[in-house]
Amino acid sequence: MEILGTVIGITIKSLIFIVGMFLAAAYLTLVERKFAGHVQQRPGPLHVGYHGLLQPIADALKVLTKEDLVPDNADKFLFYLASLLAFVPSIMILAVVPFGEPFEIFGFTIYPYISDVNVGLLLALAFGSISLYGVIFAGWASNSKYPMIGGLRKAAVLIGYEVALGFAIAGPIMQAGTFSLKGIVEAQQGLWFIIPNILAFVVIIFAVLAETGRTPFDVQEAEAELVGGYVTEYSAMKFGLFPLAEWYIATFVLSAITVILFFGGWNPLPLLGWLPIPGMVWFFLKLFAVFMFFLWVHWTLPRYRVDQITELAWKVMLPLALANIFIVAIWIMIFG
Amino acid sequence: MVRVKYVERPDLTNTERIFFIDFIKGMKITIKNFFKKTITTAYPFEKLTPPKRFRGAHGHRVKNGKEPPSFKVLEKFMEINEGESRCVACYMCQQACPVPELFKIEAVQLPNGKKKVLRFDMNLMNCMYCGLCTEACPVDCIIHTDIYETATYHRAGGVAHLEDLSKRAEDFDRRRFNEPDRIWIDDEERSKLWGQIKWS
Repeated sequence: MEILGTVIGITIKSLIFIVGMFLAAAYLTLVERKFAGHVQQRPGPLHVGYHGLLQPIADALKVLTKEDLVPDNADKFLFYLASLLAFVPSIMILAVVPFGEPFEIFGFTIYPYISDVNVGLLLALAFGSISLYGVIFAGWASNSKYPMIGGLRKAAVLIGYEVALGFAIAGPIMQAGTFSLKGIVEAQQGLWFIIPNILAFVVIIFAVLAETGRTPFDVQEAEAELVGGYVTEYSAMKFGLFPLAEWYIATFVLSAITVILFFGGWNPLPLLGWLPIPGMVWFFLKLFAVFMFFLWVHWTLPRYRVDQITELAWKVMLPLALANIFIVAIWIMIFG
Repeated sequence: MVRVKYVERPDLTNTERIFFIDFIKGMKITIKNFFKKTITTAYPFEKLTPPKRFRGAHGHRVKNGKEPPSFKVLEKFMEINEGESRCVACYMCQQACPVPELFKIEAVQLPNGKKKVLRFDMNLMNCMYCGLCTEACPVDCIIHTDIYETATYHRAGGVAHLEDLSKRAEDFDRRRFNEPDRIWIDDEERSKLWGQIKWS
């Protein structure tokens, strides 16, 4: 009976998380389009609702009602699988991301996370890596030149940054002594992990930009060279899932993990702990700031070439991550 | 002989390389732009008036007493009433046109010996709005107006006939004939007429 209650509770919570993430992702598209517009001195969506507030709904209706075309010579199974494989794992990362401490409403203790696994960080990384197979499968299954090049480029970039990313997260883990994301946040009550881990933070920024395919590293999409990269042959909602998964959900969730690893999760800003602001609000404020930082980078920088990215990953980011481990080890030896 | 000067690509200094100084410079520019006012026009609701020399849809000036002297010479051979297109069917516009097929000009000789223009069709779908026809016209008849919304629901709507052309030019001349001829927006006259456009 207790198991049944747990299952029902987790199902309901997962539904809330997934629906909430969908709505958030829809409105993150609006945030991104508004931001991109104003960076280029144009207003962005303006006429659907007040200042374009209903634009995401109009977009969703449009994408859902479009004709769903599948090329004749495509590998049908992989073609269908690819869009789901890009989308589902990136939303599954949410299962291990904690958004705050447990709090009580009307006598119920509410946990603002689905599960607190003691290998949460590894799970998040694993799901993030799996979602990239969606891109590579899409490139292969489309049976067309441009998607193929896009998929191969993504694979080349993937090999580069995954190693650096793996080493970069070692620093915070060493300091916290746990893989659990909740445990990592609780270890940052005093000093945030950004202080000794600044090099790892640079590597993580690089890895998140590369994983979500945002601009300095968006070689797999490269609309100027590759038409649309791996999404060239996709249409309707199968197409819509890719940017939704990569640009919005993955960026959002990986921003959350960045905040948890380096900026103290739901701990308040230093010197502002006396403010009556709950932890979740602090968390979302930080999360939004990091997300906007990624948008800012995206709409500023031009694109690297693939060889430059792999060079950067292997020659700069990997040594930086290793140096970070060394620095953190010394830090732990000195300060405990 | 073309002389080629080879320039070394300036190398980044170590400080620039380590702290991504060029990235930070670029991001400073974007964030500055983010807080600036937008410079766009909300097009269907808000329309800019083009300059007088704008090469929009074509028009035919009518016989209204403001003709150039060359028209006075040809006038006595033509059957043109007051208020009708002053076209003399000389085919100069078609000769000058890079896509001559878009013109369909027909003229006949009436029993009294005068020439009458029956038909002057322009398929503006093929027109590139280069303005060569307006320069070739000896009687200042075919002109460019400032009308730029030429979209129609059918391809046939893209063909301008003699009456449409005259109406368009009459409309254009009523609005802007007396306006001094100027090149571009920095003119004082222009800003006096409809306000200085703020570009940024």
